[in-house]
Amino acid sequence: MAMQGFLLGLSSGAVCSAYCAPVLIPYFLGEKKNVVQNFMALLQFLTGRLLGYLAIGFLAWGIDKSILQSISCREFIMGSAYIILSGLLIFYSFSKSSKTCPPANETGMFQKVRASWPFLFLLIMGLATAVNLCPPFLLAVAIAMGEGTLFQSALFLFMFFLGTSVFMIPVTFVGMLRRFSSLHIIGKMTAGLIGVYYFYSGTIMVIGSIWKT
Amino acid sequence: MNSLKKISGYAWAIVCFSIVPVMFIGNHYFSARLVSATGVTVSPWYSGGEVIRTVNHGTYKTIIHRPVFDGLIGKREDGFIQVEWMPVTALPRVIEDKIDFNGDGKEDFTFRLDTAAGTGTLTAHSSSVIGMIRLVKVKDGWVTRIQLQNIP
Amino acid sequence: MKEKHETEKAPPSQQSLVKSFLIALPMMALTLIIMSGGRIPSEPLNLLTLAVTYLFFNIMFFLMIHAGKTDRYRATVFITYSFLFVVSFITHMFEARGSMSLSQEKIILCEVPFCHLVIPMTLIPAAFTKTIIFPGSIIGGYASIASMFVIWIGASLSMGRGWCSWGCFFGGLDDAFSRIRKKPFIKNIDRRWTYMPWAILLAVVLTAAAFLSPTYCSWLCPFKAVTEFEAVTSFKILVQTIIFISLFIALVIVLPILTKRRIQCALFCPFGAMQGMTNKINAFEIRIDSDKCKNCKLCVRECPTLSMTEESLKEGRPLMSCMKCGTCVDACPRNAITFNIRGTPVSGSGNLKRLLFLYTAFLFLAIFSSHMIQDGLSRIIKLITTGSMI
Repeated sequence: MAMQGFLLGLSSGAVCSAYCAPVLIPYFLGEKKNVVQNFMALLQFLTGRLLGYLAIGFLAWGIDKSILQSISCREFIMGSAYIILSGLLIFYSFSKSSKTCPPANETGMFQKVRASWPFLFLLIMGLATAVNLCPPFLLAVAIAMGEGTLFQSALFLFMFFLGTSVFMIPVTFVGMLRRFSSLHIIGKMTAGLIGVYYFYSGTIMVIGSIWKT
Repeated sequence: MNSLKKISGYAWAIVCFSIVPVMFIGNHYFSARLVSATGVTVSPWYSGGEVIRTVNHGTYKTIIHRPVFDGLIGKREDGFIQVEWMPVTALPRVIEDKIDFNGDGKEDFTFRLDTAAGTGTLTAHSSSVIGMIRLVKVKDGWVTRIQLQNIP
Repeated sequence: MKEKHETEKAPPSQQSLVKSFLIALPMMALTLIIMSGGRIPSEPLNLLTLAVTYLFFNIMFFLMIHAGKTDRYRATVFITYSFLFVVSFITHMFEARGSMSLSQEKIILCEVPFCHLVIPMTLIPAAFTKTIIFPGSIIGGYASIASMFVIWIGASLSMGRGWCSWGCFFGGLDDAFSRIRKKPFIKNIDRRWTYMPWAILLAVVLTAAAFLSPTYCSWLCPFKAVTEFEAVTSFKILVQTIIFISLFIALVIVLPILTKRRIQCALFCPFGAMQGMTNKINAFEIRIDSDKCKNCKLCVRECPTLSMTEESLKEGRPLMSCMKCGTCVDACPRNAITFNIRGTPVSGSGNLKRLLFLYTAFLFLAIFSSHMIQDGLSRIIKLITTGSMI
């Protein structure tokens, strides 16, 4: 059964990478990191995606199985995710990319969180992109909910996640272009532009879903 | 070596110049060759997809296209189906068609078209049918696109 | 100590009247054959517009050879072409459907004219799905997809990004507005803005591939203001309409006037950014002779596309974004900047290389624009004589 989840993920992984590419490619270009560093960043992003998959799965399993079948509910979830994603991308496009160590006298929680924001940033981006309720994912959730125990459901979703994640690895090779210093600026500008596009799309979806209910 | 580079450069420049008149004069030929070599068509998101069934009603015909869910790779979560009504002799004032687009023997939606008023009413019989995207008068006939969701 | 005045030297490419005529003769023959299609029109209006267009092109080309200057004559043709294209296109829309707005019928029937600006967005979807994400006709009809692709491929091979100064039917608009003021009101433009077309290119290519929709055309193209646009039937289309009108006013009219730069072409157009890469496969290039260059940086100040920088001067060539308009060549007081052919030394045979480039680029411009110029002229004549362009 777990293998079925992995194979389902493999069959739909290309679709996932097409939707994640507009988010990941500008980010990797903007960070000017090498392939290995991009891979580490990708792992952080994928952690967020995994948490997103598990969260959606448990939501459907624990609360209401039909919640994901309702169009207005799906549009609301996806629209909200788009808005969060747009905020992250626009914020990223205006921020400085290099991690700066907080000065010695600033050791509060906020400063520690800010120093570690790249990790949280990627995690939340991964969470937001996971909420793309495509048919293979809905099928995976439906099958997972039919599993006997919560552990088996989680395992199925985890294997599905692994299958989809394979297709994201090639994006890290954008790091090979880091010697072109202008790509760093281009990446950030692109992130901002795509953020604006996602903000509009997300707002329309949220308004549309509220209108339908 | 320098002479060779120089000759190659000038030769390349002459080729660049030659491309211009040849390209314009032979545009039709090159266009046809490009299309046949690549096999490209207009995306079904714009063309409506291939026709899967034509139903002859005597004075008019109903043309049903395939459901379009095409993604860059794989299928997307929502799509549409295009249905057309074209006159053979004339379109009646009111058309009511029950459409089964997936061939399972069950009607998926009913569409009532008022050709005089130019309005259409959709009644969904399947959970995959969401709503009417648009109804457009096209030459002598009518075309509608119905939004669908891809239920696995 | 007296200062030696550096008088502007006559360009070495300047020719005598007889020699200029002889050099221009092949162009006259080629343009006559191709523009007329081997037939002299019988209708007086068509004959008049053909004759005027033919004379216009060849006089400009003759002057380009005789005066040894490129940009002013190129710009005259290029700007005339853009404005008459707009006249021709808009009147065609009114003739065909009574308005500039694109009807849903045209979109459903896939009869929308295909424009080169769509090309970057179509490539990845075409590679994966073998379909073109545009409601146009693949072959046949006005501005079919295949014919535009052939023209784009030919222009890329023959001129590289010279398309933006010798081919694009929109480029003349911001070229025109950038020449209105004598001096720029906004002098300094942050160099980082030159990366914006690349960012837009990446954004529209990625989103077009993800959503299978030409996002630049739907959301950003300012030239819908002078061609055709979707009729406003929803909130989304209203937002899109406000965006493109605002972008047209800002990027094509206001900012070029204030900066004396081709802002839309140099700092926004994603097709232009992609076309910059084709400069690498093209035989013609602009080069700077470091022996002659005295580093006055006049070319940096004059370049309308911000393609000359101090770093590029040191390297002896402009940036990839160079549109081969000839402004820097004409502006240089030491004739240090020339049209060159890849693989050949920078100094020597400058005039021959310039002529080879001019023949290529001007012939492209003449053939590509002649029908649009003739049609635009005939519309204006109809307006003057009958009171209506249609």
